[in-house]
Formats: sequence, C-alpha cells, structure tokens
Amino acid sequence: MKLKSIQTKVLAALVACLVVGVGGILVLMQFSFKRNAEALAQESVSGSQKLFAILEAREISKMTAVSEVLIANPQIRDAFAAKDRNRLLGLTAPLFPKLKSEGITNWMFHTPEPDMAVFLRLHNPTKFGDRLNRFMDKEAVRTHAIVAGNELARAGFAVRVLRPVDAAKGGIAGYVEFGEELGQFIHAMKSQTGNEYGLLLSKQFVDKQFWADSSAVLKRRNNWDDNPGFVVADKTTSDDRIMRFQGSLSAVPEQGTVLERYLDGTSIFVRGIFPIRDASGNTVGAMFVVRDISAQYKAMRHTQNILVSVIVVSLLLGIVLVLVLLDRLVFRRLQHIIRVATRVVGGDFESEIKIDSGDEVGQLELLFEQFRRVFVDVLGHVTEFKKE
Amino acid sequence: MGQLYDLRTKIEAKIAADRLDATDVKGKIGLKSGRLLAFISPSTPDDPVAFEKLKQAAKDVLHLNI
Repeated sequence: MKLKSIQTKVLAALVACLVVGVGGILVLMQFSFKRNAEALAQESVSGSQKLFAILEAREISKMTAVSEVLIANPQIRDAFAAKDRNRLLGLTAPLFPKLKSEGITNWMFHTPEPDMAVFLRLHNPTKFGDRLNRFMDKEAVRTHAIVAGNELARAGFAVRVLRPVDAAKGGIAGYVEFGEELGQFIHAMKSQTGNEYGLLLSKQFVDKQFWADSSAVLKRRNNWDDNPGFVVADKTTSDDRIMRFQGSLSAVPEQGTVLERYLDGTSIFVRGIFPIRDASGNTVGAMFVVRDISAQYKAMRHTQNILVSVIVVSLLLGIVLVLVLLDRLVFRRLQHIIRVATRVVGGDFESEIKIDSGDEVGQLELLFEQFRRVFVDVLGHVTEFKKE
Repeated sequence: MGQLYDLRTKIEAKIAADRLDATDVKGKIGLKSGRLLAFISPSTPDDPVAFEKLKQAAKDVLHLNI
C-alpha cells in the first residue's frame, strides 16, 4: 500500500479515530469507575449509618413498649410510689433476666425532682441514691414526657428511654429508665451486613479512672493510652487497623466520610467513619466501618472490560467494513480505469470499461470510456492519414 | 533519423526477453514518456527531448539502461 494513496490516508484516519475513540472511552470508563467506586464507598458508610439509626429506633421502640407495659402494672407502680425498694426489687428482678436476654442492659428507677436520684438499679441493686445529673434527666424533668436518645455516662454509652411514672394520686411518682449498651449494636450490625465495626468514644466525655475500673471489671485491656483523642469501646475484629484515625471527632461530617480504600491480599476494602451524637446533640463518639467491596469492585471491572472489548471490536469491525466498502466501490474501480488506460496506450484498443453503476465513480468510468472511444477513433484516423 | 525507433526496438526486445505483458508495459512507457510506441517508425525524425523522455520511461518501467 502506497503512503500517498487515499486508502492509506483513510486507514490512517480510521486508526487515529480508533485510538482517540478507545482512548477517550478508556478515560471516560476510568472516570466513571472512580466515581462509582467513590459512590460505593460512600454508600458503605451511609448504609451502615442508616442501619445504626434503624437499630437505634427499633430498640427505642422496644424499650418504650416495655416501659408502657411496666408502668401499667399497678403493683409495680404502687411499690414505686410507696418508695418500697425491696418490694419493687422483688417485683421487677424476675423480669430483668428476660429483658437482659433481649438486649436491655440497664434498668433504673429514679425519684422525682428535685432530687432525681437513682432509686433502684436492677442491673446493680446495691447501688442507689446517687444523682446522675444527665441531659436526659433534665429533659425528662422539664417535659414530663418520654425522652429517648444516646447518653454517655460513667456506666457506658447506651441508648436510653426515660419516662415519667404517674402517681395514683396525681403528680409524678418518679421515672423509669431502660438502656442498651451501644457496643452490642455493632455485633448485631456485623451479623446483618458482614462488615466490621468499631465504636469509639471521645475522651472528652469519658472518665479516665472509670475507664480503667470498668476495663478491669470487664476483663479487657485498658486501652486509654492507645489513641490520643478517643477510646475504643468495642469492635468486631481483632484487627486494630480498623481504628486508624487522626483528627477530631467533632470534625467528622454528619453523613460520615470515607477514610480510605485499601488492598489486603486480593481483597479491596473501604474504611469509613460516621459520628454518633448523644441526646443533647454532642458528638460523643463515632463508629468505624470496614466493608469488603471486592465483589462489587470485580463486577464493575468485569463490566468495564466487557464494554471496552465490545467497543473496540465494534470499532475494528467498523474500520474493516469501511475499508472493504471503499475498496469495492472506489479503489478497485479506479485501478481498473488505470489498467484499461495503460493497455489502450500500449496498443490494446479493445480494452473497455463496463459501467455497472451511476455513482460518482460510475460517472468517471462512463466519461473515461467515452474518452477511450474518441481516442481510439482518432488513432484510427491518424493511422489512415499517415498511410495516405 | 531512426534514433527513437532504435530505442523502441530495444524496449520491445527487453519485453520479449523478460516475457512481460507487452501491452501493459508499452502502455506504461507510453504514458510516462507521452509517446505512443506504435507510432514510432524508422522514419520518425530524431527528437532529443522525446528521446530522453522515452529513455527515462524505459529505465523507470523496465530498469533498462541505454
């Protein structure tokens, strides 16, 4: 193929289009892949956050329903109104193991305001009379209505429901409170999603001595000094890499954020964090989430590879088709005209062109054939003239 | 007189020796040189310009050095 030929130029143009087209598609695909990967990573965090919110709402509903049933019991209400701790303990203690098996770890009765002191702790009956002075206590006193939310206390970080108990004679007999440790949420979340989770608490809201004491009671390592700004309350994996975080918890955006995507062996993971607020709106903790996105990642790559392959093959077939058409419709016919012209000049005056088409090349063929006949006729006359 | 005809003879001898398609080769040479070989006869007057063109065409098409 000659470099100056139209065929070469067309082929070069088509190859250039192929290269530019495939290059553009690859860039577009890569961009799209990156965006999808980012969306997937963000969805991993927001999905976990939603699941946490659902679990939280479900447990609040459960504790609210339990409290409704409890205060509807006249014996319990009377014992509480009479401030008969032993009778109240006798009536409620048999119920506590069942509630505990349902996840309710804290159960308390509080005296009414202005004291608002702990009257009875079902989870620790020997300890009472202390004042907790928490945000939720103040809200319950202020509104005399059900208050629900997360509350970080010395006893731990729990989602709680606190509600007033009306006295038979009118007024408030006191308050009843149920709570569930948030730490157990992450295990429920892991069983539902397969993701790994870690719950951390800001040191700003945790008492160092209490943390050391509770660590000893719970027979866990005191991890207070592991991180400068937070302590790890619970996690679903022994791998500490899940907890790598530098910065302030208060700076974590409300909708959570993706911290990184990383490769571990052949698996791809995404790690993110979302804040956990208490009932007063303070960011007292956060939850880490690690999700294995290898399957989705591989599926996206597979789809991308198929798309690129299909596009490249289509473009190649298109190029071949264009070249075949050009060859059949233009180049072969032009070659035939050149061959006939050469043969006529070489003395074969009978060579002629058959015109099968009225297209542009057909018009050229017709013109040439007419010219050839005139040329042959002129040659005949010149020969005769010379003979004369 | 006869210079162009001698060249035509050499060209035809070379075509015959190489067993080439005479019509095709003569056509190519004719197109390149601007002369119809069939019209060159022993009586064709010498023409240095036409001779050079025909010689160059023969060289290009047949690699014939004269």
